[in-house]
Amino acid sequence: MIKQAFGGTYQIMRGMGVTLKYLFKKPVTNQFPDEPVVVYPRFRGRHVLKRHENGLEKCIGCSLCAAACPTQCIRVEAAENTDENRRSPGERYAAVYEINMLRCIFCGYCEEACPTGAIVLEHDFALAEYDRWDAIYTQDKLLEPHQPKYIQIRDDEVFVPQDTWRVNK
Amino acid sequence: MSELVNVTIDGVEVQVPKGTLIVEAAKRAGTEIPVFCYHSKLDPVGMCRMCLVTVGTPVRNRETGEFEVDDNGKQVIRFFPKPMTACTTPVSPGMVVITQSEESIADRRGILEFLLTSHPLDCPVCDKGGECSLQDLTYAYGPGVSQFYLEDKHHSPKKEPLGDLIYLDSERCILCARCVRFEDEIAGDPVLAIDNRGRNSKIVSYSNPKFDSKYSGNTTDICPVGALTTRDFRFGARAWELESTPSVCNLCGVGCNTVLNTRFDEIKRVMPRQNEALNEIWLCDKGRFGHHFNGSQNRLTTPLIKKNGQFEAASWDEALALVARKLELSKEKTGGVAGAHLSNEDLYIFQKLFRTVLGSNNIDHRIGLNANWDDQLAFEVGAGVGTDIGRLKSESAILVLGADLDEEAPVLYLRVRGSARRGAHLINAGGRWTKLDNIAEKSLRYRYGAESALAWGLVAAVLDEGLENKDFVAARVDGFEGLIDAMKSFTPTRAAEQSGVSEDDIRAAARTFAKAENGVVLYGLESGGNESLQAAIKTLLLITGHAGSANNGAIAVLPHANSRGAADMGIVPNRLPGYRPVEGEAGLSAHEMLSPDAPLPALYIVAADPAAQSARYKAAIEATEFVVVQDLFMTETAQLADVVLPARGTAERDGSFTSVERWVQAFDNAVSAPALAWADWLAFTALAGKMGASWSYASADGVMAEITQTVPLYAEMNFDNLTRPISLERKMSHYIYSGTSFTADTREGLQWRSVAEASEAKMPVAFIAPADVPPAEGMTLVAPRVLYDGGTLIAQAEVVSAHIQPAHAVISRKDAAQLGITADDSVTLTVPGASVTVPVRLNGLVPQGIVLVPRNLSGFPAEKLLGSKRLTAVKITKVPVAELA
Ligand code: SF4
Ligand code: SF4
Ligand code: SF4
Ligand code: SF4
Ligand code: FES
Repeated sequence: MIKQAFGGTYQIMRGMGVTLKYLFKKPVTNQFPDEPVVVYPRFRGRHVLKRHENGLEKCIGCSLCAAACPTQCIRVEAAENTDENRRSPGERYAAVYEINMLRCIFCGYCEEACPTGAIVLEHDFALAEYDRWDAIYTQDKLLEPHQPKYIQIRDDEVFVPQDTWRVNK
Repeated sequence: MSELVNVTIDGVEVQVPKGTLIVEAAKRAGTEIPVFCYHSKLDPVGMCRMCLVTVGTPVRNRETGEFEVDDNGKQVIRFFPKPMTACTTPVSPGMVVITQSEESIADRRGILEFLLTSHPLDCPVCDKGGECSLQDLTYAYGPGVSQFYLEDKHHSPKKEPLGDLIYLDSERCILCARCVRFEDEIAGDPVLAIDNRGRNSKIVSYSNPKFDSKYSGNTTDICPVGALTTRDFRFGARAWELESTPSVCNLCGVGCNTVLNTRFDEIKRVMPRQNEALNEIWLCDKGRFGHHFNGSQNRLTTPLIKKNGQFEAASWDEALALVARKLELSKEKTGGVAGAHLSNEDLYIFQKLFRTVLGSNNIDHRIGLNANWDDQLAFEVGAGVGTDIGRLKSESAILVLGADLDEEAPVLYLRVRGSARRGAHLINAGGRWTKLDNIAEKSLRYRYGAESALAWGLVAAVLDEGLENKDFVAARVDGFEGLIDAMKSFTPTRAAEQSGVSEDDIRAAARTFAKAENGVVLYGLESGGNESLQAAIKTLLLITGHAGSANNGAIAVLPHANSRGAADMGIVPNRLPGYRPVEGEAGLSAHEMLSPDAPLPALYIVAADPAAQSARYKAAIEATEFVVVQDLFMTETAQLADVVLPARGTAERDGSFTSVERWVQAFDNAVSAPALAWADWLAFTALAGKMGASWSYASADGVMAEITQTVPLYAEMNFDNLTRPISLERKMSHYIYSGTSFTADTREGLQWRSVAEASEAKMPVAFIAPADVPPAEGMTLVAPRVLYDGGTLIAQAEVVSAHIQPAHAVISRKDAAQLGITADDSVTLTVPGASVTVPVRLNGLVPQGIVLVPRNLSGFPAEKLLGSKRLTAVKITKVPVAELA
């Protein structure tokens, strides 16, 4: 009985100790979006459709991203470039490009499948919408430029070469 | 069964017929040898060297001729020092083939590496990507990296139109010549060739217009890479994204099996569905590209009721109530015209509506120049179940009579041509040159109008030379003695005089046909198909014993997708479904219903546009008090209607068609229809409901269930049977060809049995004197059918509509020279009471004295001149250019 009472008090003291310790630390809460959030360079967030330097779209509408996507959340419909309406180099461009952000699991397979480096998972993570339908990101939304102010990318990520990944035996 | 030989392929011993190529034998042994240029439908050429294998043959002792054996008692095999092409080397007894030898593996790597040195590797934007042999084989056998510099790649234009439907990307071409060989061998249109040599070799078309072939789309299927792509599907979708729905082509009577590839509820492309008994793996361009009418912007989307001369949108309920009210009044005086594009289910319910609810036998499916043809032959002596018109050999004879198969039934033309190439004796009887003459063993050129005289001439020659099949005649033919008597007056000599074909030719053709083990007669629109002709064909088939079994009998090349089904379902005034005569008086034919002198009180016109075809029909429809039109589009007839009802296209519903070879085949719903469009049978059912009938069909399936009960011919044709997956046995016999990324042989149809097959009873034969007398003096007007018609459907398919020619007349160069007409002129064609002016074309292949005016082009000039006749004498005069302007 006494032992129990003593033990209980000790546990409470321990708990309060943790509280006390953090009371004097600097808070980690980020005043989003007024303060930038810092993410690692390889953080996989919202997709961006890249452009070539001359402004043409990199995407050629090949649908390989859609084929690779495990959640089937990409929709691509292709069309043919003409001299009057040239959207990408070569013959083919994506006339429709949509990603359903509610379904996306940010696995990055689309980026990996893309033969032209057009679709890239960048760092934006603020994907809340008022309407479910707005969560289907259309091509004009996805195309560059997209640089949210509230994101900062850390530059101190240590690159670990692949051959050292193995866990010690 | 031909001689079998034993061969060992990768250690597996198989028995194959002598002469089999190693690639084919390997398939039996369960090994697939990679190929590019080889295609089981084409002759082998050995151009690509992809199929190299190591081959050895047993060693024979030179003295004894015995196989030599080693110490262990095994045959000694001597391997050829060089690799052999599996696609050109036939097997020999005891042959040993190693497909996975080190050399072969290295050879394949080498070949692939070489092919890729001039290949752009733009798979991500290539329409073939995902179903490309080069991709697949490179993954399976190729090197991962190339030893050549990327900069050294060969470059050429990416998109060259090879014809107006097909684009060529010669960077991608691997020069396997499959396309060239397809056009030469299978289609008989030698319009492609390889130009230049070495790295500069390129596929070209020098025909005018370029790539002038009705089968051009097939080259894109068999092209092992993405060098040939269609304008239609260009960048439409990636192959793996498409859904595929089995369907049946609704654009002619052949009934080719198709797959509708859809994405997001839109038809992206139409591909052939393999059916070795019907279309093999081919489609014509009309079938492949004509589907766009389904998604046309001009479709009818709502029922319309005409009020004060203006159409106003209405609900189905209102529209049907009005129709029901009006038809209550006209009852048995109502007339019904149903186009033969409708499915069996629609047609059955249509005639049921007329016969049971309205009590009228006034229904017909034949309008215009097709109106005279009431085909019964298929019912009596139709080509036997299991007939394979594409795989007949030298034991068989095919008689084509008055049919331009290339225009009337394109894929049937390919099949007949295939048989002729395999040695079948093809007799092509026609009034003019048609493409089959290129390959026919014998061409009989008759005088137009003398088709039945020629057919009876063949009968006379058979009898005269005693070539009849005596056993068959004794067992199955009634009235043979009477026939001999009756034919005494009609000798081959007489037939020769009447038809203009020499007696020798008639006799030779009759001999060929009678002596062949199997005999099939195909007769088409130009033959007229009258009673005497049908009797002659029937007699010819019966006395030569070519009836009642597979590969024997008649095939009527009827014009529309379901012309056969329309006859089967009794959409004629004189017969009920299943070829039973109507009780009591026959109704009116379409020609009689659409008569301006005696208009009916009400007409129900479905999927037909008679007003566009002739002024007479138009006047009749205008004079009719109440007209309902049910169609996909606002046709000329629909504009004259009081009520217009929107129907669904083939791709938007299910149902079944019966092909000219009597294959009943089901098609599925692939895309959704405009919201208010109804399947035709549903509209008829709802209307019957408004008129007091209580039919409870819920689906096309359900309608067919009733047909199986009431029409004995269709007893087996329920949808369970029609949609049953293809048998494993059949599947095994299918060659898995590159060209699709999905299974394209899901189901097969069912054929119904003709009387000759279904019973053992004797069948009567009787002589009916040839009736047609050729128009005597001057020029004769003939109205053939052309593939790309000026009708309602394909005019809406933008991709092929450029192939629809304006109305014109064709005359021979000699006539033109005599009349002083040149190719830039127009001519006025005059018959008593009518005349039309059309541009003229000259063609050296048209016989003198003949004016061809295609019957199914817009404006329907042939119809104006011919009325309901088949041929007529016509006066032709040149129109001075000044007068035209
Ligand atoms: S990140 Fe993954 S789930 Fe999201 S779109 Fe790309 S492939 Fe699909
Ligand atoms: S983003 Fe890349 S993979 Fe996706 S369609 Fe465009 S080019 Fe192809
Ligand atoms: S176009 Fe295609 S089918 Fe024709 S030769 Fe080239 S690769 Fe072969
Ligand atoms: S031959 Fe006839 S059925 Fe076959 S694809 Fe052509 S139009 Fe269709
Ligand atoms: S497949 Fe044998 S050489 Fe081309």
